[in-house]
Amino acid sequence: MRTTYKCLAAFGAALAAIWISGQALAANMPSKSMPEVTEALLEKGRGIYFGRCGFCHGLLGDGEGPAAKYLDPRPRDFTLGTFKFRTTQSGELPTNEDLFRTVSRGLRGTAMQSFDSDLIKTGLSEDDRWAVIAFIKTFAQEFDNPELDPVRTGKVISLPSNPAPFSAETVAKGKAVFEKAKCWSCHGKLGRGDGNKEFRKDDWGFPIRIRNVTHPWKIKAGSEVADIYMRFTSGISGTPMPSFIKSLNEEDRWSLANYIKSLQHQLTSHQSLRAKPVEGALPESPDDEAWNTAEPMDVRLAGQVIAAPRWQNPSVELVTMQALFNDQEIAFRLTWDDPFKDVIHDETKAFNTNEISKVGGFNSYVEANGMVPRALETFRDSVALQFPVKPPQGTQKPHFYRGSSSDQVHIWVWKADQDAAGKRGTDEGNARGWKQRIKAQAEDGQQVTGKASWDQGRWTVVMKRPLQTGDKNDVQFKPGVFVPVSVNAWDGSNGEHGLIMSLSTWHYVFLEAPTPISVYVYAVLAFLIAGAVGIWLTRKAEHGDEDEPVEAAV
Amino acid sequence: MKKPRIGSFLSVVLTLLAVYALVKWGIPAVSREVTTLPFPLPVPGTLMFFYMVLTIVALFLFVTFSEEGLSDFLKPVKKFLRGGYTKSLRAVVLTAIPALIGWQVYEITVPKVEVPSSLRIQHPSSNFPKSFEAKKNPFSSPTEAEVDAFIEQAKANEVVFIPQVRDDVERWVDEIGPDHVLEFFPVAPMMKLLAQLQSGDVDKETAKAALIEKYLFEGRALYAMNCRACHGDSVAGDGPMADGFKLRPINFADNGTIETIVEGYTFWRVTNGGPGLPNEATPWDSAMPEWKLSLTEEQRWRIILAEYNLAQKTPRMPESH
Repeated sequence: MRTTYKCLAAFGAALAAIWISGQALAANMPSKSMPEVTEALLEKGRGIYFGRCGFCHGLLGDGEGPAAKYLDPRPRDFTLGTFKFRTTQSGELPTNEDLFRTVSRGLRGTAMQSFDSDLIKTGLSEDDRWAVIAFIKTFAQEFDNPELDPVRTGKVISLPSNPAPFSAETVAKGKAVFEKAKCWSCHGKLGRGDGNKEFRKDDWGFPIRIRNVTHPWKIKAGSEVADIYMRFTSGISGTPMPSFIKSLNEEDRWSLANYIKSLQHQLTSHQSLRAKPVEGALPESPDDEAWNTAEPMDVRLAGQVIAAPRWQNPSVELVTMQALFNDQEIAFRLTWDDPFKDVIHDETKAFNTNEISKVGGFNSYVEANGMVPRALETFRDSVALQFPVKPPQGTQKPHFYRGSSSDQVHIWVWKADQDAAGKRGTDEGNARGWKQRIKAQAEDGQQVTGKASWDQGRWTVVMKRPLQTGDKNDVQFKPGVFVPVSVNAWDGSNGEHGLIMSLSTWHYVFLEAPTPISVYVYAVLAFLIAGAVGIWLTRKAEHGDEDEPVEAAV
Repeated sequence: MKKPRIGSFLSVVLTLLAVYALVKWGIPAVSREVTTLPFPLPVPGTLMFFYMVLTIVALFLFVTFSEEGLSDFLKPVKKFLRGGYTKSLRAVVLTAIPALIGWQVYEITVPKVEVPSSLRIQHPSSNFPKSFEAKKNPFSSPTEAEVDAFIEQAKANEVVFIPQVRDDVERWVDEIGPDHVLEFFPVAPMMKLLAQLQSGDVDKETAKAALIEKYLFEGRALYAMNCRACHGDSVAGDGPMADGFKLRPINFADNGTIETIVEGYTFWRVTNGGPGLPNEATPWDSAMPEWKLSLTEEQRWRIILAEYNLAQKTPRMPESH
């Protein structure tokens, strides 16, 4: 009897363990290993590849499909057998499960999206994913060689069996490892990808972007501690990112992953920025302590893909806004990450958009490399705030992409080259749609002032202006009113200039208005009147009805 | 007459509470049962107001119907006011009620800080031109002449593709050296056509189905080049650009998007984009491009063919008038 119970208990515990681990890894791990490769499986895989993969990865699997030229990072060339995201040692092939994970989860921030039918409706079932992986493996001869199979040769890396939990202690340890292993020499002291003074090029001569590890939505193979651990343990093949498996022990690598996790930015979710009133002068310097009291609002930006020249490889995807005002002026502070300080602007290198702006042309997108120079000392960094000129009627506004011919926008464009040259940093202009250039306002109408700084891969720009101006082409600010605002941004060394930029849709800025004194007066008055009525009724009940027989207290 | 077990004051209070609870929670609960939707039907604030006013009027009539009824109702009130339920309770209630009233007055008069919100109509029809209603996708049903031309091209092994895919197809031909260019299509209609080409006996139905596969291939490439950045290769509105837009790109795989509209409507939306929308659809927040400025009609229709195919949906049929 006893043994039976013990067996049952053990069986139950085993089931529970399988269930729990299954829950944790459901999205990452297949329920069974790759089926045996047969002609039928490959034929099925070929069909799926043709319908879903070839437009980026090419009919030959060489990463040269019709959409490939416009993407950065480029689609993987399967023929080389070089795969970035693995759980195998440096230079090794990936395991089947590694490929399964990438196909299932996708690579965040890239065109490679999730294909897991549990995550997306039009996704692929587990069997379909195995079929397409079997087909993809036929592109590289390396997979045919059993001596290169990392499972057979024992080159697979496993996660630490008993990792320390995420804590202040492990994070502090990890920070020390970050210093010691010189991670900052590429990724920057604060992890913003600003460690190198110039671009590094990959084997094809394309500029390599060093990851800003503080932006989790761009961390391709996952932003959890275990994912991060695996990246610097396995290294990223085909890039300068090395494997640290030999130079750092397991505990150090785990601590480092914890530290990297702790650097990740938590996005705010509100769409409306509250500006607080301040006494006295507004801060003009980006480093002024007064800014610490101002509420931040994260604004997400996308590439300008609305009209030619379309651009889907934007550098600036997050601008954090703050605002303060006094009785005379309003000041905005904009903060965004940019690994290179670009303060030179060479208009002669500007891209001639005519060739991709025709109806029925080859493509209206700008190629990721080749069409525009993506190099230092070419174009300036820049940021712009955009407001409607007319106060919105209800929710009606100009279009967020530079307004329209009937509804113009007021735009404040800060330019790094002008600022660095000691000239006025911000130009005010008006736009009536993206088809025309921004029309600069007259010199005496230029009222935006402010300072800017670039430090450790981050720009901070202040723009300050009187709340009210006499100009009918200007936005006007008044406490208690919601004013729509949107952001445009350019990273010069990413080739961005003109309409090749990133932009946001409409948000709001709201200047807090003091509560009118009358509100408190009415509330107190209502309380007093109601109280008086109560007392009067009590009196009446106690004295007025004495003729009625008073009931004995119950 | 039998005396009611609870006093008339308490009955009034309980009736008011019961009606409030019924409107507030009862109706939504019943509506979920009746509609079997996963969410309750909303109960408008005015409905609550009317029901409560009606209840109060009815209760007032009930209580004041007779002298006796009124004094019955007022008895516990008077007893309370005289301190019959202890003086401390009286003090608490007589402070709480004015405080509540004062707080309500503050709530009503204090300026509200609310982001202007807009009701948006997803599929506005106010400026949808009737001429688009019956438009059919020319690539989902090629004409006989087009099929014949395709058969000729296939026979000569000189199939013409759109320029956007030509490079990829040519590299495949150079590398693989196939007997026929169409061999890269691992789809049944194309394989059937190739077999028929070999035997020399091509039937038009097979050729037509194969031609539609060719259009789909071209359409998917154009989709990947033009639309994928926002709508995603999942067609679920989750492309790499999607997080930057307040109005997220439409999820074509969702029921209730492209399958609820006629093809002509889809074509109109692709053609005129956000700026073509009427005000009730908040065109100023839409990132949808005016594709007529970049793509030809043929390119747009090819994309729409691929879009429905990738989403595994079919368009609604136009109503015949």
